[in-house]
Amino acid sequence: MNANLLFKHFKFIVGVIVGYGLLLLANYTMDRYTVYIIALIGIYAIAATSLNLTNGYTGLFSLGHAGFMAVGAYVATLLTFPVRLRIAYNLPLLPPFLGGPEYQWPFIPALFLGGLAAAVGALFVGIPVLRLRGHYLSVASLGFMVIVTTLAKGLKNITRGAAGIQAIPHYANLWWIYGWLVITIYVIWRLLDSSYGRAMLAIRESEVSAQAQGIHVTYYKILSFVISAFFAGIAGGLYAHFARSIRPHEFSFSMTFYVVIMLIIGGAGTLLGPTVGAATITAIKYALKPIEEGLKIYGLVEVLYAILLIVVMLWWPQGIVGGIKTLIAFWRKGKGGKENVRVPVGNVDRT
Amino acid sequence: MLVVNNVHVAYGKIPAVTNLSFAVDEGQIVALVGANGAGKSTVLKTVVGVVKPLSGKIFFSENDITSWGPERRVRAGIVLVPEGRQIFTTLSVYENLLLGAYHRRDHKLRHDFEQIYNLFPILKERAQQTAGTLSGGEQQMLALGRALMANPRLLLLDEPSLGLAPLVVRDIYKTITEICQTGITVLLVEQNINMIIHLVNYVYVMQTGEIKLHGPPQEVFKSEDIKQAYLGG
Amino acid sequence: MLIYTAQQIVNGLVLGSMYALLALGMTVVYGILRLVNFAHGGLITIGAFIFFYTLSVLKLHFILTLVIALLLGAAIGFLLDFVAYRKLRGGPEVALLITSLGVYIFIENTTKLLASPQPYAFRPPALFLQRFALKGIVFSSTDIFIILSALSIMAAFTMFIKRSRLGIAMRATAERIETARLMGIDVNKVIVTAFMLGSAIAAITGFMWGAKYGQISYDMGFMAGVKAFVAIVVGGVGSIPGAMVGGYLLGFTETLMVGTLPPGFAEYRDAFVFTLLLLVLLLRPIGLMGRKEAL
Repeated sequence: MNANLLFKHFKFIVGVIVGYGLLLLANYTMDRYTVYIIALIGIYAIAATSLNLTNGYTGLFSLGHAGFMAVGAYVATLLTFPVRLRIAYNLPLLPPFLGGPEYQWPFIPALFLGGLAAAVGALFVGIPVLRLRGHYLSVASLGFMVIVTTLAKGLKNITRGAAGIQAIPHYANLWWIYGWLVITIYVIWRLLDSSYGRAMLAIRESEVSAQAQGIHVTYYKILSFVISAFFAGIAGGLYAHFARSIRPHEFSFSMTFYVVIMLIIGGAGTLLGPTVGAATITAIKYALKPIEEGLKIYGLVEVLYAILLIVVMLWWPQGIVGGIKTLIAFWRKGKGGKENVRVPVGNVDRT
Repeated sequence: MLVVNNVHVAYGKIPAVTNLSFAVDEGQIVALVGANGAGKSTVLKTVVGVVKPLSGKIFFSENDITSWGPERRVRAGIVLVPEGRQIFTTLSVYENLLLGAYHRRDHKLRHDFEQIYNLFPILKERAQQTAGTLSGGEQQMLALGRALMANPRLLLLDEPSLGLAPLVVRDIYKTITEICQTGITVLLVEQNINMIIHLVNYVYVMQTGEIKLHGPPQEVFKSEDIKQAYLGG
Repeated sequence: MLIYTAQQIVNGLVLGSMYALLALGMTVVYGILRLVNFAHGGLITIGAFIFFYTLSVLKLHFILTLVIALLLGAAIGFLLDFVAYRKLRGGPEVALLITSLGVYIFIENTTKLLASPQPYAFRPPALFLQRFALKGIVFSSTDIFIILSALSIMAAFTMFIKRSRLGIAMRATAERIETARLMGIDVNKVIVTAFMLGSAIAAITGFMWGAKYGQISYDMGFMAGVKAFVAIVVGGVGSIPGAMVGGYLLGFTETLMVGTLPPGFAEYRDAFVFTLLLLVLLLRPIGLMGRKEAL
């Protein structure tokens, strides 16, 4: 490792330590409810950061993230679900080699398998679709989510159908979640800094030029998509073992939309943007929930989100973190800084 | 008729045309020549209005048209036959011609269709065919016909000979000369100077976005050196 | 058995008619801007609620309601383009996609806010509630209305796009937008017309949907809008007849699957539709009648 890389790692580690320090502080000073929300933010941050890989850095637009989270959640849950409860909950259909009546998977492998399953799903969707134009992926990934949730609702003997699974062992807590967030960000960071990352950025700029440079565009798109799905699966698994209950209709388009808007508002194409976005959006939601309930105006929060999204797309597409970076560059370079502004969403190939 | 004054055009940060000034008198055929990338197409696009210059002015028949959009310029009589012909391949020959006259509100359309069909009998034959099935030369005729349907006063042609066989090109240029004789002014861009050397009244030679030479063709192309230097041989 | 098949065919025709109209409305915009307008689904919802309000609350005559809905639908289409999409034209395609998503969410939740999270029972005028039985095949006057008006709208639209000056201009703009400008075509006007036409068609389909299923809710448009896109892909991207064919194909396939498989599988209807989409994308992404789209 050269000196520069070492320094960057050093900054990263410092950041992690500071972050954990803050979490410790929050855990000991704030009430249970707030800590719960902070943990939830962590989970969504993982989801948004993984979405950042496809939507922010590769210029794709996946709308099926909730589907990958669902796969991760269900697979991980079915593996870790305590044996004695399986009988009570009528889940006999798990094939013996997976667990059988005697066995119960430990958390980490189950989580991993959840992520892997999600990644495999991404392969199934990605291979036919990613060689085509962007909007095909949007609808196909949406379709994947529908297929997954429909299966979850339909295969009642495995998943308990629409009733969902409750009393999931509480394996995930604040530390696990943020630990995984650090891992996710780290992986994506190192990925971007490599030749793989450069290829993806080239694709985002202009697919046509990237192809001309000999980059196998479809291969890299699939790679991004699969890695992103893996971490989404992890997020799903963490969610299941934190909230302790999952139902198919939770993993709906609304969830995907939440993750998308966290990404955009926070700043697509930046490392910390998704986390900032997750915090912002979740904070808004829980702040406004009481008003919504009190005045019985359901849908208010989503309307605000939608307006926010449209406004951001029209006038401030870099999001919060992107905007801050621009401002800093602007300030540093004087007049020249403005040229570094770029819309981090999609590429400008239009035929 | 057309006066271009000190025009600067850039695509993003890349300059395409620098400090360009030239004029085209009514009734003339004028050519813009130069090697690939000299900026010739950009000039035509700027004249017709699909590209906006960073600075400079354009005048057409005493009017300052610098701020006019292409729709307005077409109505004023500036019509471009773009590079590669760009006919609507999914529409029929007839529909393509009809679209040429889209901006016109007058009723002489049927008469003009007859005129175009007289000029290009093959188009009449293929009137209901999908334009994408036409040969290269026929597509060029269609593109010309379509432009004529717009009732142009100034006809801009971007590399009309591109991708066409020499015999076909000869026919095309014969037609272009006939068109000019009806009073339409022509400004064309061409890489193949041998074809046009006897047809045009005036030539501007461009290189990397600037006009380096201009004059009647016989003077400008007096020596082979000039041809070598500016046109890559 | 024969009766059962015939019944399925009738059902497929009705569902197919609605999908075909939706696909038509969506492809008008898609053809020109290459934009999958997620908000299109929202217009179905708006249309349905407009009909609900004017018929049940204001108690206006149906024809008047129709006119109002068409006009309002078109107006909203115009607004959409003006407020949200116009600024993003010429930029990355994905930006338009995301914004259209935002617009849909806005429409869905504003409806939820202004109306109610609960579905409303939708009662069309009595004329639509007649039931018929022909040799054992059951259908209602709503079904007849849907099929007939779908066919008329499609016929009228085809006439428009093939014969009228503006229609030809739209086709030209859909093929090459820059060259269209060179013809003196006001491309903005063409795009706005596309939005308005598509939205008006969506609004009327909202009525059909509500009348057919007897209820409307704030989220009724989402799946319909997405399925419209599936219909376009199946039938052929960039092709107007393709969109309509795709709509009918989708309607028939969905009906057939729900009808022929054992009852427990009925809930899988949406999953079927998307599996079909993935198959088509894998095997023949151009669709049945599509033109080659630059990638």
